[in-house]
Amino acid sequence: MQSAYRRAALRNLAMTAPICSATAAIGEAEVDPHRAIARFAIALALISAFTTLVFGFQAAAYAAGSISNPAAAETKLQAVATTGMIADIVRNVGGERVAVRQLMGEGVDPHLYKATRSDMAAILNADITFFNGLLLEGKMSDALERIGQAGHAVHAVSALLPRDQLLASDDAPGGHADPHVWMDPLAWAKAVAVVSDRLAERDPEGADDYRRNAERYEQKLRDLDRYAEAAIASVPEGRRVLVTAHDAFGYLGRRYGLEVIGIQGLSTESEAGLKRVEEIVHLIATRRIPAVFVESTIPDRSVRALIAGAAARGHAVKIGGELYSDAMGPPGSYEGTYIGMIDHNVTLIARALGGVVPDKGHGGKLAAIVAR
Amino acid sequence: MKLSTFLQLDLPAMLAALFATLACALIGNFLVLRRQSLMGDAVSHAVLPGIVIAFLIWGSRATWPVFIGAAAAALTAVVLIELVRRYGRLDAGTAMAVVFSIMFAAGVVMMEQAAARNIDLDAECVLYGQLEDIIWLAPTTLASLLDPAVWEELPREVWTLFGAFVFTSVVVTLFWKELKLASFDPALASALGFPAGRIDLALMFVVGIVAVAAFEAVGSILVIAMFICPAASARLLTDRLSTQVAISLVLAAISAIAGYLLAAFGPMWFGHEHSLAASGMIAVVSGVILAVSVVAAPRYGLLARRFRPEAASAGTAAAVRE
Repeated sequence: MQSAYRRAALRNLAMTAPICSATAAIGEAEVDPHRAIARFAIALALISAFTTLVFGFQAAAYAAGSISNPAAAETKLQAVATTGMIADIVRNVGGERVAVRQLMGEGVDPHLYKATRSDMAAILNADITFFNGLLLEGKMSDALERIGQAGHAVHAVSALLPRDQLLASDDAPGGHADPHVWMDPLAWAKAVAVVSDRLAERDPEGADDYRRNAERYEQKLRDLDRYAEAAIASVPEGRRVLVTAHDAFGYLGRRYGLEVIGIQGLSTESEAGLKRVEEIVHLIATRRIPAVFVESTIPDRSVRALIAGAAARGHAVKIGGELYSDAMGPPGSYEGTYIGMIDHNVTLIARALGGVVPDKGHGGKLAAIVAR
Repeated sequence: MKLSTFLQLDLPAMLAALFATLACALIGNFLVLRRQSLMGDAVSHAVLPGIVIAFLIWGSRATWPVFIGAAAAALTAVVLIELVRRYGRLDAGTAMAVVFSIMFAAGVVMMEQAAARNIDLDAECVLYGQLEDIIWLAPTTLASLLDPAVWEELPREVWTLFGAFVFTSVVVTLFWKELKLASFDPALASALGFPAGRIDLALMFVVGIVAVAAFEAVGSILVIAMFICPAASARLLTDRLSTQVAISLVLAAISAIAGYLLAAFGPMWFGHEHSLAASGMIAVVSGVILAVSVVAAPRYGLLARRFRPEAASAGTAAAVRE
């Protein structure tokens, strides 16, 4: 009799919500001779249910509070940007009219970034969202595209780049393009155009401001490009080789005639194979490359392996410094802006490879570079 | 936060978390009884070669090929584990460790081959999802929840997990007696004419399917924790299997809801702006529940055993009766 009841209870429980299974557990436990166990189970369930309820009410209270929050009543256009480089464009183009929330901070690797609930909520509640596209944002890319398709203003800043200007990252059919487009300031100017067009579309009253700001910013990018071109050109020709941890610098290399060699592949997950390291060591030693580089978002272990390897072949190669690849420098500093980041990278590369560049870079604002 | 945000972000994520934790906890009861708790971890590693092969065959990272590859690898792994256990005369833990580490290693080698062809592939990015990416854009108001068209747009992950939970429940209900007997006393089961070996294999198939379905939606950490924690906590609270299963389901549901809310809103109460990762927090809550049970369980808890040593021995008698 009792076991028939038990089976019935379990069948119920299989089909229904946890509330029912709670009653099943309690109902059954009462016929259990071990009263203490039953009481403990009930107490545990009640305490946990109570805690859950409190959390729920807290959440509701928080929700109610933030609706009357003065920030929500702000008249600025609320924009969200995934990476710092994109946020920097939106800040420059949007000016006073736009408040920007940047999801990925300093030193964050966007390939591996996992969106949190507050990020998704920010995107859903923003007036406009900009992301890089070309699968830079990893798993988050799908969610961003779905939100865009559902009618939210979500835009990829790489949208205006012609397909044939993208570097391939895959030999396989259906492979995707190298997403690190910001490494070429002229290509990045196309992202500025996307931001200014889309902001104007969303907020037509500010269209003139956005266009003016965008023109000014694009001019700065062109100046930066000229500086970078001259800086890399000052490096002796045979030494224009950039050895880094992963393949983030393809666009930079193409624009300024640098040969780029990444120890890891494009994605930061794969480990460098021993053979690959061996090949690169050989290349460094035979071509007498003076410096290799580490990146802010990636551990420098594999780069150190290169140095040790080259030393074993009697060639001293040094670490040229830390480049900013997938994220910018500390917020508030010059390197924490897009222009400062590229200036830092180009100046560092040119100097370490034997080029002639001003001490403080293009803008004269670079912090002194600390040798590592 | 607006109601629409809750419906679009929190509701689908909580539903996915709930179904995932319930499905894993339900089947996890039998894994804990059989000392095969780490099956979830084993499967999470063993799927790698399946993913790589699927990628090499179909040449794409679309969901279905990857899912099929992962499921095939998971099933291969559980069959191999059973074979090694039976014919290698090894205990379950060793068999699992041998098979999953070798399969994972094979996957790494194959992936290096793929990497030589400059293919960007990693299991973390291909198979393992996370709760925050499960968004349901259709509902905007409570009233819209009554519209069937809105439910049609419920994210695929939630349906998959719901399916996995229903499937597990049906299997456990139908084969309750067999599972119970084979888990407690396989020798007796064979003597009574139950095909214990086949029951083992069937159980492992269910584990493989649930694990892959759940990895894809909610990530691996949550799955591994949910196979073990709720069932282990429940085991400390009762000697009766049916009660244990019921308690484990309640604890799993509580972990899912409380963990999600803590991760999503907890930091805000302390004035922080950013939420925490939900699957991690759910796993942490289930761990805390287990810790509380270990200390304070009425019969097998540390406190009870310290102060009422006779209670524990009475419990052993009860277990034998069961």
